[in-house]
Amino acid sequence: MYGWIWRHLPGNAWVKALVSLVLVLAVVYVLFQYVFPWAEPLLPFNDVTVDNQ
Amino acid sequence: MAATADETEEHADASAPDPRPRRSPGRIALAVSLFGELLITVGVLLALFVVYSLWWTNVIADRKADRRAEQVRDHWAHAADSGPGTLDTGDGIGFLHVPAMGNGEVLVEKGTGTDVLNDGVAGYYTDPVKATLPTSGKKGNFALAAHRDGHGAKFHDIDKLRDGDPIVFETKDDWYVYKVYSVLPETSKYDVKVLSPVPRESGRKKPGHYITLTTCTPVYTSRYRYVVWGELVRVEKVDGRRTPPAELK
Repeated sequence: MYGWIWRHLPGNAWVKALVSLVLVLAVVYVLFQYVFPWAEPLLPFNDVTVDNQ
Repeated sequence: MAATADETEEHADASAPDPRPRRSPGRIALAVSLFGELLITVGVLLALFVVYSLWWTNVIADRKADRRAEQVRDHWAHAADSGPGTLDTGDGIGFLHVPAMGNGEVLVEKGTGTDVLNDGVAGYYTDPVKATLPTSGKKGNFALAAHRDGHGAKFHDIDKLRDGDPIVFETKDDWYVYKVYSVLPETSKYDVKVLSPVPRESGRKKPGHYITLTTCTPVYTSRYRYVVWGELVRVEKVDGRRTPPAELK
């Protein structure tokens, strides 16, 4: 999978490494900004109140 | 760009026949390596989630809370001429100082929904039991909740609180000094009785001016709730320089 992505990136090794880095950062950004905030309330790690439900 | 990629591929093809086994891995080998990569991906994702919940949410929440706290202080400074006893129209009603937790001041806002608490503040209960605000002067229970981990983790060190430790609530005009008198290190999350105006589980039977702090326990999970009760000892007027009461020095 990652090998396939690497082969399909343009340029020489340096350019590929740079593009990969940008891709990784983009993925981390999307995760932190959208995916994790969405997933967090669904997981039972951070309920601090007492309630009836 | 595409041409170079093709070239390298062809080049790789041309040189391939020599190390034969490396060139065309079997289907099973491919499947196994794909599976392995997926596992690595899942591992990295989970690690990132931990980083997110234990570090990044704190960064975001503290930033927001600091800004809000500044607004409240600003509001107090500029609305000094409004009569005493009038509650601020802003969301923040005051600051909680708990020296034993060693985390400075915690802004207190209305409500205990995640939308409130995720901003790095403590919230007072409006549901299932309505908290009695100390500013009302009535007897009752000022029940608060905040995060143990992530989102500012304002009650992270709640387990450092011992009987007799001060909890000070600061409003525009007054310092409300409470003393811890009871701790419940573990209770069910359905135990709403801890928020009652007279919290019997704390050992008190008569109405009084109580404060209740709730958060989740053990750390990093929310299986149970940790509860700390305090009782009002005295109220001090805020002076011109906002000199903190003796407990905070």
